[in-house]
Amino acid sequence: MATPTRTATPSGTSTPDASGMPPMPQKDDVKATWNYLEAGVEKIMNDLRGGMDMKTYMGLYTAIHNFCTAQKAVGSGGFTGHQNRGGAHLLGEDLYQHLIIYLQNHLKGVQDRSRDHVDEALLTYYIREWNRYTTAGQYNNHLFRYLNRHWVKREMDEGKKNIYDIYTLHLVRWKDDMFAGTQESVMRSVLKLVEKQRNGETIEQSHIKSVVDSFVSLGLDESDSTKSTLDVYKEYFEKPFLVSTAEYYDTESKQFLAENNVVEYMKKAEARLDEEKERVPLYLLNEIMTPLMRTCEQSLITNHSAILRDEFQSLLDQDRQDDLGRMYKLLARIPDGLDPLRNRFETHVRKAGLAAVEKVSAEGDSLEPKVYVEALLEVHTQYQDLVNRAFNGESEFVRSLDNACREFVNRNKICKSGSNKSPELLAKYTDNLLKKSTAKMTEEDDMEKLLTQIMTVFKYIEDKDVFQKFYSRMLAKRLVQTSSASDDAETSMISKLKEACGFEYTNKLQRMFQDMQISKDLNTSYKDWVNDTFEREDVKNFVDATYNILGTGFWPLNPPVTPFVAPIEINKTYERFAKFYNHKHQGRKLTWLWQLCKGEMKANYIKMPNTKASPTLQVSTYQMALLLLFNDNDTVSYEEMAGATKLAKETLDPSIGVFVKAKIVIASPDGAKPEAGTVYKLNTGFKTKKMKINLNIGIKSEQKQEAEDTHKTIEEDRKLLMQSAIVRIMKSRKKMKHQQLVSETIGQIKSRFSPRVPDIKKCIDILLEKEYLERLEGDELGYLA
Amino acid sequence: MAATTSIETPQKILLTTSDNVELKVDRDVAERSILIKNLLEDLGGEGTEAIPIPNVNEAVMKKVLEWCEQHRKDAPATQDDDSDSRKKSTDIDEWDQKFMQVDQEMLFEIILAANYLDIKALLDVGCKTVANMIKGKSPDEIRKTFNIQNDFTPEEEDQIRRENEWAEDR
Repeated sequence: MATPTRTATPSGTSTPDASGMPPMPQKDDVKATWNYLEAGVEKIMNDLRGGMDMKTYMGLYTAIHNFCTAQKAVGSGGFTGHQNRGGAHLLGEDLYQHLIIYLQNHLKGVQDRSRDHVDEALLTYYIREWNRYTTAGQYNNHLFRYLNRHWVKREMDEGKKNIYDIYTLHLVRWKDDMFAGTQESVMRSVLKLVEKQRNGETIEQSHIKSVVDSFVSLGLDESDSTKSTLDVYKEYFEKPFLVSTAEYYDTESKQFLAENNVVEYMKKAEARLDEEKERVPLYLLNEIMTPLMRTCEQSLITNHSAILRDEFQSLLDQDRQDDLGRMYKLLARIPDGLDPLRNRFETHVRKAGLAAVEKVSAEGDSLEPKVYVEALLEVHTQYQDLVNRAFNGESEFVRSLDNACREFVNRNKICKSGSNKSPELLAKYTDNLLKKSTAKMTEEDDMEKLLTQIMTVFKYIEDKDVFQKFYSRMLAKRLVQTSSASDDAETSMISKLKEACGFEYTNKLQRMFQDMQISKDLNTSYKDWVNDTFEREDVKNFVDATYNILGTGFWPLNPPVTPFVAPIEINKTYERFAKFYNHKHQGRKLTWLWQLCKGEMKANYIKMPNTKASPTLQVSTYQMALLLLFNDNDTVSYEEMAGATKLAKETLDPSIGVFVKAKIVIASPDGAKPEAGTVYKLNTGFKTKKMKINLNIGIKSEQKQEAEDTHKTIEEDRKLLMQSAIVRIMKSRKKMKHQQLVSETIGQIKSRFSPRVPDIKKCIDILLEKEYLERLEGDELGYLA
Repeated sequence: MAATTSIETPQKILLTTSDNVELKVDRDVAERSILIKNLLEDLGGEGTEAIPIPNVNEAVMKKVLEWCEQHRKDAPATQDDDSDSRKKSTDIDEWDQKFMQVDQEMLFEIILAANYLDIKALLDVGCKTVANMIKGKSPDEIRKTFNIQNDFTPEEEDQIRRENEWAEDR
């Protein structure tokens, strides 16, 4: 029915058709063309729902095309007048200007009608109009595409300001003619809506989302219209949104704190922060997350941080882990929020540690190492647990914990009596654990756990050298007396120490272990040698002996303090071994540590009740020498004992004392002290039910003496350690200021113990005297090779 | 079977040329024209109503559609296709060269239609063809080729020559 119009014969005369459009204009008639276009644009703006037919669509596009390609202007432009345009003059400006005026008028009406609405109704209106307008803008952009492609493009290429493609033009007009006059009331409505939601009401979130999208669309980059910026959104949405957020939470938090306790407040703040975070993806732009969180944190946390922190101590006292965790999470969100807590935490842990030690120190000197170490561990475990659970294992809190533990482990009531007390007690505790004698045999897993705990305390010990000293002495004893509970546990402990302090720290301990292994092999080859060298009948009569060869440099053992003449039986035995050994390793000197030797003797003169067996006596070598004298005589005098063994009185007297006490011998006169004139008679009537009788009992005074010796050697070793550190430093630096040398020495030694400055100065003086160092001008020291 | 064939058959649309001839054409072929593409997007191309093309007659439209058919698999033209590479070179591919071997009248009609229908690539090919016709010719030869009357006064001509001296081939 509708016949297509031919451009060749524009239908200026044809009647308006069914679409209600005016007739197609003459191509060079500006007024007619715009009239035609205006009717179309009007329809698009206000009645797009009514639909648009293809004919109108093509008609509008064609009208613009025809207008822009009309020859008229080219002729009128003239040649000389447009030289600087660099080409043909393009038509279209008239249409562009007409469109601007149309849009301005249209938007004035839209803005006027917006005043009839408030709150949610205003939002609904704004969004509806915005959507309608932008949809129309898309249409117009397509219909005016010929204008975009030629006239607009040329204007923009030539750098003309304020010329945009048709869609952008729509946005620019909206921003100036609609947005500028309404944004304030629109935002007021938005913020009211958000406040309602914060108060717990349900709101139409999509309204806000649409407003955000609209504001974002209006962010046009002035220099490049194809790009958009968030400037408009930031200025007109984000800014007021944050201001109102701060106001809301300032008021709420003050009020809530006035009516509730701090713990309740923390729960509330936590919930509010989560809520705001969830709000962002619902209808806000993700860009607002950071400033929104910061605003909330300021109002909810920073403004009340003092009140929160004041609660910290009482939560600690009550061990409220959940609430402490809550406080940690809140304060961790604000800058420098946690520092004051860390200090308080450190002080608290230190006090707890000191109190725990104070409690066990009531036992005085008889304090069990186990009790002491467990008291330390209990405090550490409790607060480590707290750090991990409530403070997220955060490294700074771990450091505060470490600082506190180091304080109370090294400086507490027990340590007042002697600064080396902590490492000594820890070493003793370790010894007890690793010793076979411990009644309850520890399961392997438990053992590993206990050793790990020891390392926890060890980590805090400052005088690690003291621990090393005691530990190596006790290890030596365990090895020599074969009283170690398990090789695996020993190795595990050594490797833990090695891991903590390095190879040098455990070197000697490892060598001791090796010596024991080598000795085992040596004994085997010695037995073979004996069997090969001697007649079988002779071998039967030899004393059955095993030997441990211990390297002098590695073992913390001293030669015997008393002279001793070994009995002939023993003498033969060890000379035989010495011959074997010297044959194998020439030029090595064997020193016999009699005080550590022990043996077993069969008491053939006694019979066990109801059996024919005789009991075995376990004795030290000294005791063996004494008892062997009774093989020749039933009665031996004190003088004879002293003469035969050459033992010093300090060793001889207690050894005899054990026999008398155990009723192996009977002193005469009855109850006489071990001194010249006393005579001892073998108690042939001795009765026992035990197969083995241990007479090799450690002597109390010896143990105490040992501990004192250990402390004394520590002092000497420390001097050497400091001196060697000083020499090492000076050797590499050649010249150094006194003060600098002292501080570097401390740095090198710190891991072993905390050296005192006067001690270091003393060591420097010693080295000056020994001419390792020399004084130079101006407080400088020099190294003398 | 039936289902597969229906999917593979492209959607057809109708165009009515200025001389009132209806042409049936595959939608994707017609959509080489941004004008038609936008129209179908905006109004929805589902109906059977023919799209009136008031500025192009049947003969030219068929020629244009022949080109679109040949180039239907090209990368879809974007709204603002402005790649420099195509602008700078006057190379025309073989098929297009043959396609453009038409009389001058038709060549200009094609160019005008491409401009109107917003088929950037075809417009470029057309303009390049014209450019190649100009290349290497003197002003008089050019006038002869395109049947242009010299409407410059001798003074004007002199001025132009002086202004463009720098571009002369020497």
